[in-house]
Amino acid sequence: MIGAGSSIGEQSYGRGLEGLIAGTTSIGYIDGVQGRLVYRGYPVEELAGHLSFEEVAYLLLNGELPDREQLLQWQTEIALWRNPPELAFRALDTLPRDAHPLAKYRTMLTVAACHIPEAEATDLDAQRRRPARILSWAGSLAAAAIRHLKGEPPVEPRGDLGYAANFLYQALGHLPSSEECRAFEASLIVQAEHGLHAAAFAAWVVISTGADLGSAVLAGMGALSGVRHGGANQLAWEMLQELQDPDNVRSWVREKLKAGYRFPGFGHRVYKCPDPRVTVMEPYAEAILRAKGLEDRWETWLAMRHEIEKTLGPRGIYANVDSITGLIYHPLGLPSSAFPIPFCLAIQTGWMAHCLEYLPDGRMIEPGAVFAG
Amino acid sequence: MQTYRTLTGDFSWRVDRLDWPVTSEVGPGLEGVIASETAVAWLDPSSGSLSYRDVPIERLAGLRTFEEVAYLLITGDRERNESELDSFRNRLRSSRNLPPQVVELIHDLEPSTHPTRLLRAGVSALGCHELSEHDDMSGERHWRELRIVGQVAALVSEIARHRRGRKSHQPDPARSLAECMLWALLDRAPTKLELETLDLLWVLYADHGLDAPTFTSMVVASTLADPYYNIVAGLSALRGPKLGGAGEQVLEQILPLGSVEDAVTWVDTTLAEGGRIAGFGHRLYRMDDPRAAILRKQFAVLARERAEGELFSIAKAVEEEAALLLGPKGLHVNINFYAALLFHLLGADAHLVPCLYMVGRMAGLVARVQEMLKAPRLYRPRSQYLGTPDRSLTEREEG
Repeated sequence: MIGAGSSIGEQSYGRGLEGLIAGTTSIGYIDGVQGRLVYRGYPVEELAGHLSFEEVAYLLLNGELPDREQLLQWQTEIALWRNPPELAFRALDTLPRDAHPLAKYRTMLTVAACHIPEAEATDLDAQRRRPARILSWAGSLAAAAIRHLKGEPPVEPRGDLGYAANFLYQALGHLPSSEECRAFEASLIVQAEHGLHAAAFAAWVVISTGADLGSAVLAGMGALSGVRHGGANQLAWEMLQELQDPDNVRSWVREKLKAGYRFPGFGHRVYKCPDPRVTVMEPYAEAILRAKGLEDRWETWLAMRHEIEKTLGPRGIYANVDSITGLIYHPLGLPSSAFPIPFCLAIQTGWMAHCLEYLPDGRMIEPGAVFAG
Repeated sequence: MQTYRTLTGDFSWRVDRLDWPVTSEVGPGLEGVIASETAVAWLDPSSGSLSYRDVPIERLAGLRTFEEVAYLLITGDRERNESELDSFRNRLRSSRNLPPQVVELIHDLEPSTHPTRLLRAGVSALGCHELSEHDDMSGERHWRELRIVGQVAALVSEIARHRRGRKSHQPDPARSLAECMLWALLDRAPTKLELETLDLLWVLYADHGLDAPTFTSMVVASTLADPYYNIVAGLSALRGPKLGGAGEQVLEQILPLGSVEDAVTWVDTTLAEGGRIAGFGHRLYRMDDPRAAILRKQFAVLARERAEGELFSIAKAVEEEAALLLGPKGLHVNINFYAALLFHLLGADAHLVPCLYMVGRMAGLVARVQEMLKAPRLYRPRSQYLGTPDRSLTEREEG
């Protein structure tokens, strides 16, 4: 690991540290040419639809899939932390209803962090105990933040449900069909890890200072909220909503292309080919939209994607995961401003895995700035 | 392409122009990596001198207030346009009026909660009050970030009051950031020397390159997140034991020492047992931190005014003994040593020190974030995969 070793190498890189190899990892890799996303050796398309989110989280955090007993223990631990401190819910009541749900969720997490049972312990063992609590608290707090948008009170968690289904239950106030829950769970799985993207890198910088894992997650969330990042799935859906039906897509896309518009949910720094997460999610999105009588959204999205990729594909710009998750979150009944939240819940798993991997002897990350005044 | 010998050469970290991509040495913790080009501040590694916007800190320390230096760092205006400075100052001061719900939120939390956590929660809540889900950030970002500098100062004042069981107090817009903070810390009008000391501390802390809170903020802002996200993220990097926690440790170590003799013995025993003396050693300086010399002088003067001569002698004894033993190992006194003691004389308890230092650092942080946002480029390095080779779930089921 470069961050931890003592060796000095020489590298070439661009602005934004593009191309810099900042460290080594065993968590996963992205192949931006072949369009592959791999967690601990397993391709993501094998994991989604076959395993639960809890199993995939365990895999990412621990390196191997759990056996029956390990899984039971991990599920119990996650379920144990489903009731965050009351303090955080009280804080939610002081916030304006029209604030962004991700910002409210952030605030609830910062308040909950004022009440952590072992706030001061940052030894490795203490850090390793944290992911279950963070994942679980985050789910309950995020669900409450989403309900707050409509002035609805929080919903008590259900101990008999898995992570994905319980989140939906707490956010919506009812349990969607098992097909819908499976589609949502698949979306969490494909978004659970994505290399050292900006948010994971921000979390890394924070953990390197000796801070606690929850602080690192808060930094990751910040990076995820930006329009170039997780916030993009909200913008991508809102763009799609501007389009009435598949027929006027072609002229609309052409007009936007002429104006040099950047389509949210299209193009990626790593993938220069179709995004494998999109491929995994397509059948789920189509099925859920058809079941809800929203075929026109599906047809419109296909037409828009086709039209954009026809022109931009040769330049390596394809639909990315942010373009498709809204097609699942909307029919489930989540408001578009809440779309970044499931992404955040899922991908914090990857951030935590990267942080725990960095910790054992990672040095404080402190690059330099060159004065060119 | 030119190769920058950032670690093994004598690279000055100053160039006329940088052409991306660059080639540099890369060490542990990304040491030696060039993560930005800047006009905000320069630390000359050969002389240890520091300048803000090309003005040496010696020409600012003690001569300019923190508000003036924040103006210099954030706007880059060395000519000091008085009317611009006035409106900058007004904006900074008026932003200290916090919504009552946020003040209540702080006072609703346990006063013993670590102040850095209270500050982070307060900033996050402010973000919810300042920006609705429909806000479009374009065109107003500069103004928003400036507000946060004042808001952070106001929150730290509230936290200081809350810790001592005092009621909330609206800041007087006629009073400077430093003056209002001192009222919150001391419950009385500060003396001229106390006022000068806090401004000096904030001026010296205002910028110091890409420290973790600043760099974290830049990474987050590079995604075009709203400023409350990058400040919350920056504050999350504030108190790691390797960073903002240093000031706290200084007070925890020095204050219990009863005499000069105790101090010398304590340094000797601690180092003999392999322990650490907080406030010594710095990744960038291989010499005395120039800021520490300025603060040592200030500490001598303030300790005299406060009749704390004994504390000064003890601190000086610790510094001299530690310098004797640690100097040959390349560990020298850094800014946190005397700064923590000065914050103590200004009425702060140890846990409040990281928050107080952060008020000053906000100026450089905002200046660097705004500079980066002029041509934002997402921070996204890579990691090299050395894990399990490709495998399949079917193998697992079979095996």
